[in-house]
Amino acid sequence: MLPDLWRHRELLSRLVVRNLKMRYQRSVLGFVWTLLNPLATIVILVMVFHYIIRIGVAEYWAFLVSGYFAWVFLQHTVATSAGVITDHSYMTRSLAFPAEILVLSSVLARLVEYLAELAIVVVALVVFHHHGIPVSMLLLPVIIVIHVLLAIGLAMPIAAAAVFFKDVQHAVPVGLMMLGYLAPVYYPLSLVPERFRTVYLLNPVAAVLALYHEILYEGRLPSPMLLVGSAALATVVCVIGVGLFRRQRALFAEII
Amino acid sequence: MAHAAIAEPQLRGPQAARANAVECVGVVKRFYLYEHRTTTLQEFALRTILRRPPPARSATFQIHRLDLCVAHGESIALVGANGSGKSTALRLMAGIYPPTEGRIVVRGRLVAVLELGATFQPELTGAENVELYAAALGFSRREIAVRYPEVVAFADIGDFMQVPVKYYSSGMRTRLAFAVAICADPDILLLDEVLAVGDESFRGRCLTRLARYHAAGGTLIVVSHDLWTIRQLCSRVVWMENGEVRMTGEANTVLDAYEAAASRAG
Repeated sequence: MLPDLWRHRELLSRLVVRNLKMRYQRSVLGFVWTLLNPLATIVILVMVFHYIIRIGVAEYWAFLVSGYFAWVFLQHTVATSAGVITDHSYMTRSLAFPAEILVLSSVLARLVEYLAELAIVVVALVVFHHHGIPVSMLLLPVIIVIHVLLAIGLAMPIAAAAVFFKDVQHAVPVGLMMLGYLAPVYYPLSLVPERFRTVYLLNPVAAVLALYHEILYEGRLPSPMLLVGSAALATVVCVIGVGLFRRQRALFAEII
Repeated sequence: MAHAAIAEPQLRGPQAARANAVECVGVVKRFYLYEHRTTTLQEFALRTILRRPPPARSATFQIHRLDLCVAHGESIALVGANGSGKSTALRLMAGIYPPTEGRIVVRGRLVAVLELGATFQPELTGAENVELYAAALGFSRREIAVRYPEVVAFADIGDFMQVPVKYYSSGMRTRLAFAVAICADPDILLLDEVLAVGDESFRGRCLTRLARYHAAGGTLIVVSHDLWTIRQLCSRVVWMENGEVRMTGEANTVLDAYEAAASRAG
């Protein structure tokens, strides 16, 4: 599969650019607008969790931003990947090419956005939270790779399912929202009772987010078990997800 | 058994004579027709939980059996009544979907022009679509830039290149699709009813260009109802009927038989 993707890299890059252009060409403020939305949400979340619920996390805003955009990246990736095959039916119907490219273009487009947001988050954390650069941040690229593997593993089977079932695109946001509550997006891992923590961390999304919190918010190196475990989970999800996609791939042209 | 597209470089010399450009061995293609297909997850979940049987479906064999070998540099045509399986055969060779049984082997770069320029995204302009299509065919940025003027010249749609494709006529779409395909200079070119669309001047240019393509050693497989053009272009004709090859051989021989049968039936 990988040599195939390399051969189609021109197509992949064009699809990514097109994906990003389509999102921003209509908005005057462009990328700034897509930052304002999560920013507004973060302000509200801080008010709710810090002042009303009094969750008891030091500098809650720092905790929240270190994981929130990572979660949003997963949400957006899955949401936009769901429709990507049917949106490009004109290609699937009349060209032989690996349909995985379509899903990947969606993932990569969202990744570009996420990396831009992450850069701002890192700067904010370095300046206002750590007042310095913790060594743990060097692990960021590794975590991002694990994160992307997970995103691909989730996006692929959903994109395939959306070809056959029209309501997948509506069902996905609901399912994701529930998954979001079962992951340390709004609350830290430390609040999860110890006896449940291992099972809780079997959720790959929870594991990846915990990693982000460790290196970005806590500023310390994560335990090797968490790191290796998350990498393994993400890889498994990716392999299964891509596998499911490829099994159905042959039928796309007949259904669309 | 899956479609194996072997992207080997063109074989040269005596080896080329032995290897075929396209091989269909024991190919069968079955489609399912559903009275009502489950199109929502909701329905699927309910059906599974309530243990209802899956919706009834009937199998239709578009291709009962296809054995076909096309040598490098050959120019063949598939003819037959509507529904005889010609377009399905073309799509199988193009790798759009895999055969239900059998094996399809393609050696070389294959470009197919099917469905009147369906490879275009209606919202994008002609120029953007050409670049996207070329990228989908595997061309690099530089290669696309080099071939682009040639495509524009051949398609001859002028300023419409900067207009979204949804405003194009079907003829314009076909001309553009064909222009990209032929300028891609593939090893194997598949054309599905493309030559029927377009005015005399375009058809003339197509034939000239295809003759050049053939002279350079390209392999051509067309599906067409235009028997006159087929006689000009192709050396071999495959007559398909009800998903099987009824007759194959020298172009004029098969076409005469085909026309005779058609006039008998009509």
